[in-house]
Amino acid sequence: MSNDNAAPSSSSAAANGSADAAAPRRNSKRPKYSKFTQQELPACKPILTPGWVISAFLLVSVIFVPIGVASLFASRDVVEVVDRYETACIPPQNRTNKVAYIQSSSNKTCVRVLTVPKRMKAPIYIYYELDNFYQNHRRYVKSRSDQQLKSNSSQNDTSTCKPEDLVNGTAIVPCGLIAWSLFNDTYSFSRGNESLNVNKKDISWKSDREHKFGDNVFPKNFQSGGLKGGGSLNESKPLSEQEDLIVWMRTAALPTFRKLYGRIEVDLNRGDTINVTLGNHYNTYSFNGKKRLVLSTTSWLGGKNDFLGIAYLTVGGLCLFLAVCFIIVYLVKPRRLGDPSYLSWNRSPGGR
Amino acid sequence: MKRYVYINDDESPTQDLYCDNRISNRKYTVWNFLPKNLWEQFSRFMNQYFLLIACLQLWSLITPVNPASTWGPLIFIFAVSASKEAWDDYNRFLSDKKANEKEVWIVKHGLKKPSRAQDVRVGDIVWLRENDEVPCDLVVLGTSDPQGLCYIEGVIECPNPDKDIRRFDANLRLFPPFIDNDVCPLTIKNTVLQSCYLRNTEWACGVAVYTGNETKLGMSRGIPEPKLTAMDAMIDKLTGAIFVFQLVVVVVLGIAGNVWKDTEARKVSLDLVKSLYAKFIDWDVEMFDQETGSSSHAANTAISEDLGQVEYIMTDKTGTLTENKMVFRRCCISGTFYGNESGDALKDVRLQNAVASGSPDVIRFLTVMAICNTVIPVQSKNGNVLYKAQSQDEEALVQAAAKLHMVLFSKSGNLLEIRFNASAIKYEVLDILEFTSDRKRMSVVVRDTRDDKIFLLSKGADEAILPCASAGQQTRTLNEAADQYAQLGLRTLCLAWRELKEDEYQEWSLMFREASSTLVDREWRIAEVCQRLEHDLEVLGVTAIEDRLQDGVPETIEMLRRAGINFWMLTGDKQNTAIQIALSCNFISPEPKGQLLLIDGKTEDEVCRSLERVLLTMRITSSEPKDVAFVVDGWALEIALKNHRKDFTELAILSRTAICCRVTPSQKAQLVELLKSCDYRTLAIGDGGNDVRMIQQADIGVGISGREGLQAARAADYSIGKFRFLKRLILVHGRYSYNRTAFLSQYSFYKSLLICFIQIFFSFISGVSGTSLFNSVSLMAYNVFYTSIPVLVSVLDKDLSEKTVMQHPQILFYCQAGRLLNPSTFAGWFGRSLFHAIVVFIISINAFAYEKSEMEEVAMVALSGCIWLQAFVVIIETNSFTVLQHLAIWGNLIGFYIINWIVSTIPSSGMYTIMFRLCSQPSYWITIFLIVGAGMGPILAIKYFRYTYTPSKINTLQQAERLGGPILSLGNIDPQQRSMEKEVAALSITQPKSRNSVYEPLLSESPSGTRRSFGSAAPFEFFQSQASRLSSSYSRNCKDN
Repeated sequence: MSNDNAAPSSSSAAANGSADAAAPRRNSKRPKYSKFTQQELPACKPILTPGWVISAFLLVSVIFVPIGVASLFASRDVVEVVDRYETACIPPQNRTNKVAYIQSSSNKTCVRVLTVPKRMKAPIYIYYELDNFYQNHRRYVKSRSDQQLKSNSSQNDTSTCKPEDLVNGTAIVPCGLIAWSLFNDTYSFSRGNESLNVNKKDISWKSDREHKFGDNVFPKNFQSGGLKGGGSLNESKPLSEQEDLIVWMRTAALPTFRKLYGRIEVDLNRGDTINVTLGNHYNTYSFNGKKRLVLSTTSWLGGKNDFLGIAYLTVGGLCLFLAVCFIIVYLVKPRRLGDPSYLSWNRSPGGR
Repeated sequence: MKRYVYINDDESPTQDLYCDNRISNRKYTVWNFLPKNLWEQFSRFMNQYFLLIACLQLWSLITPVNPASTWGPLIFIFAVSASKEAWDDYNRFLSDKKANEKEVWIVKHGLKKPSRAQDVRVGDIVWLRENDEVPCDLVVLGTSDPQGLCYIEGVIECPNPDKDIRRFDANLRLFPPFIDNDVCPLTIKNTVLQSCYLRNTEWACGVAVYTGNETKLGMSRGIPEPKLTAMDAMIDKLTGAIFVFQLVVVVVLGIAGNVWKDTEARKVSLDLVKSLYAKFIDWDVEMFDQETGSSSHAANTAISEDLGQVEYIMTDKTGTLTENKMVFRRCCISGTFYGNESGDALKDVRLQNAVASGSPDVIRFLTVMAICNTVIPVQSKNGNVLYKAQSQDEEALVQAAAKLHMVLFSKSGNLLEIRFNASAIKYEVLDILEFTSDRKRMSVVVRDTRDDKIFLLSKGADEAILPCASAGQQTRTLNEAADQYAQLGLRTLCLAWRELKEDEYQEWSLMFREASSTLVDREWRIAEVCQRLEHDLEVLGVTAIEDRLQDGVPETIEMLRRAGINFWMLTGDKQNTAIQIALSCNFISPEPKGQLLLIDGKTEDEVCRSLERVLLTMRITSSEPKDVAFVVDGWALEIALKNHRKDFTELAILSRTAICCRVTPSQKAQLVELLKSCDYRTLAIGDGGNDVRMIQQADIGVGISGREGLQAARAADYSIGKFRFLKRLILVHGRYSYNRTAFLSQYSFYKSLLICFIQIFFSFISGVSGTSLFNSVSLMAYNVFYTSIPVLVSVLDKDLSEKTVMQHPQILFYCQAGRLLNPSTFAGWFGRSLFHAIVVFIISINAFAYEKSEMEEVAMVALSGCIWLQAFVVIIETNSFTVLQHLAIWGNLIGFYIINWIVSTIPSSGMYTIMFRLCSQPSYWITIFLIVGAGMGPILAIKYFRYTYTPSKINTLQQAERLGGPILSLGNIDPQQRSMEKEVAALSITQPKSRNSVYEPLLSESPSGTRRSFGSAAPFEFFQSQASRLSSSYSRNCKDN
């Protein structure tokens, strides 16, 4: 029996894996050729030759310097009158305890006199500038209810507004810390005896008036809690018309910021003295915040800000400097690119 | 426990005991998918961390962003991972289903019926045709060979399923029992295993003994543990560093950062990119093997970049370096060498004359060649005889004998007919003493029908045959012949014979039969019985068979060695053969450049001393530019690994090349383990079942889907058709993958740190309250879209062309040493992100100051700045721009604006109208250009300066490649190749050499080295020591003979 078995067993074992003649497999297994699958897509392979790099730097400086000059001119063209008044508007005898003064109910009207250094063309924007005011603080930023501002039906949607959400169990409209801390200093301007009209219309974003603040939402319970944060609102006007609030609710990213107060729509001449009658109501004294009044014209680049111009000139100048340096280095110490003698294994064959 | 298989018995009591033949490779079922997958995902540290953060973010008091923006990506990312797993599992299910529903023929009561593979039960008789896949483990009952099929009932007594594919000790009893042969022993030779293909016979049928997942293959399947690449490990370390950094930030600033989301996104994009690397390997036309029609395949998609970091390659010899196609080349018959001049004994006129004149020695030699084997002759229709053999060597011998007019004509049952010069001689085959890797020889006992004389014919390795030679015979010439052939890289076999007395045979035959049917230690018992017959042999001569090197092997090894990869050859072959093959494929350099050190010894002490000597020499020579390699055999290796592991490890580190011969599969795996434990990246390449363990052990396993079946290829991470594809796999795919992953992962850190730094800076001006400058939607989109898409196309980036890499394989060093991703490059990216964060932050808060400092606008300016900068960073770091890259980079930038414009039209979103407002302001555009200029200028300047004045090798080659000219002037490339060819030619085994010069053993040509390493020992001595350990415990893999 064992001999009988020999033949089939060995041939079966031959079948068992180590088959000699592998059956011809179909060639369909051959991968399909395409430039993508073979990683052979035509490619442009730039290298950093001195020519390219130096001309790139030259080009950048050629572009940047004029832009810098233009930006700087634009910024210089802007006429800006800044008046810091938070201390000046407190009577000298009250300056030891400014917080008590501002919280008292005495008359806080104060008059400031500004001189126009250069002719200012209308429109002249009136800004108030606050300093050290962290509108970007996390808990402050979040303390608002966009739903409530938008529609009357979500009046009670105040869950995000703590701690300024409810008063005596009813919802505050508009709720939240941001609205509660509404800026409420007032300015009125006169040139000589002529009073200058301040246009406070359209100082907020149109999109905000139309889509973020509802025209059927009216202030309710506002500033009626224990602690008064800032300005009050006219309860008969819908939120979409409360432009000061809308402006204020656009939180600033920086602790120093300006917000639009209004526009003066007449030109101011050089040397004009402007009398500002100022209602100093807003309490920045408890956190040592500064208050400034800013009158400014505007350019194509916005307000007065030399930063862009200077930065452009600096970058452009640096690029020029680098380009010149590279040219000098290239001339002084030329180096052949791709010299195979830099390959260590060409110097000592077999070495790693 | 025994398993009883009742053949062909429907009512058998045991049928239901065993599982059906449904195979399942699935990891999940429909029910356990969700819990199991979640469990697996959360068992990783990273994911736990992310979950913790996500949970923390539910606590609204401390979180700066909307929890949805945290949970959204988390769930998305988990869903992606889970879908990938589910898809893989579904594919496994499909392939299982295909296998399960394959049609097989089951024989019931003598009739063949078609059935599905999954319905095969233990005990069924399965009928297979040629080229069918075997559905389960079968015991073969019959094949198309003349014996034919019979209707059988019986029982097979076999062990319980295990995974040892080399052992199957079972017995068969037939019903009704035959009188004198009631128990028939079965071995692994009587079986065909699942997933093999039936070849060389028209049909076969067999009894199913193991089915479903209980088959040998099923039992040994197991899920190999996932491999982590070196790069992943490094990335994880760096991620850890980022987390620590973040933790500090959290503690100091009270801001919960957003880095973690990016890290998760990075994981997703890395997974994506890695599967593309794997696809590129699958798609590669240049790695398609025309001969076998098999393309390369990356089974493990996660480790491609490790290919670029390989430091050690452990390679098998037979079938991997060589073709495993045997051709008879030379022989030595009773002291006469044939085939020396022509390199082909068959064309040697002297041999032809000897055959013609009927020299008795030569005739006997040829008879043994023709008979002593398990080759099956098959008459084809046109009268030719075809041979079907299990062993390539045997086939080569029988073919050669046939060419010398000794034709093995037919085998039917135990009658065998050979024809010599047209006269037919019949032999009765009485017993076959099979080859085992321990015995290293096989014999047959035949009876010459002409005169009823009984002969024992043996063939085997020289060290297995020569000690059995009769006392009077001079074996010196034979020994020399064997050595000389081995010198030429030929595989040698000694042939011997002895006439047996009738009564001696009968007595032995009884013992043999008894031993053959034992169930315990059968192999050992048989070996012992065989040894009782195999003595006093008359050794007839030595045959030498050539196993040709595969195409391109020397070039591949040469190139990879120049790339700084160390090669170890682990083979079961003879030492001399191994050394010669090593020489001819540039594995080691010939004298005087190369030097071989040998670790040898019969006893432990000797091995120890020799190891110390070699180590000493190695220490001295390691500084010299010499090619030093050590040679060790399995016996010495066993001792070295067991008792002198420390010394051997040091040796392994010092030596760039090693040849380990006569090693077992488990030793191969041990060596891989050893190098891995020294923190080297190892790649194991092999083609046979004996390489599987080594392949699974190594960091990267490469299988050659060659002539030895697909076992190795299936176990491997990568399977390729030919050894020469290895260079492309490593130098092209491995290298690109490494470079791309290095860029991709560092870039991911860069972009997430960029945002993180900006957030930190912003927290300084927001009262350290942890306000997020960016809104949640933007942050999410930043990670998922804006920064991921452009970088994903970096999978197409090529720093150097394939041609350049092939010409300068040394450049791989950058990958091996991890030059492109390490703490210092990472520090560079860290610095870059810090610098860019400063630029973006300073410029955007200053340009948008005062009346323009609206939160959403500033945030969008900063975000735009980041997007622009990252686009330019990608540009400056990209080496080659294809259409897709342009599309992704610029398309992404445009996409950023389009997405934001769309979001800006939604009144309820926080960003309503913001983007339109910004885009209409000149100051926005001016700010963005300033950010780009200020951010990229210094980066470009530094890069240019380094590129030109302290270029890395990669830069130099880039310049050379792209400026055209000088690349070809790298003079040493071509000459080297030419000289290499010369060496090969000189060593080529087909080149005739004068006997004396050939005879000198390689080691004796290096007097200094020899003296240093062996003292006064004769260099020749070590070749002979193996004979004494024939019965030693280590076994040799079976494919070498």
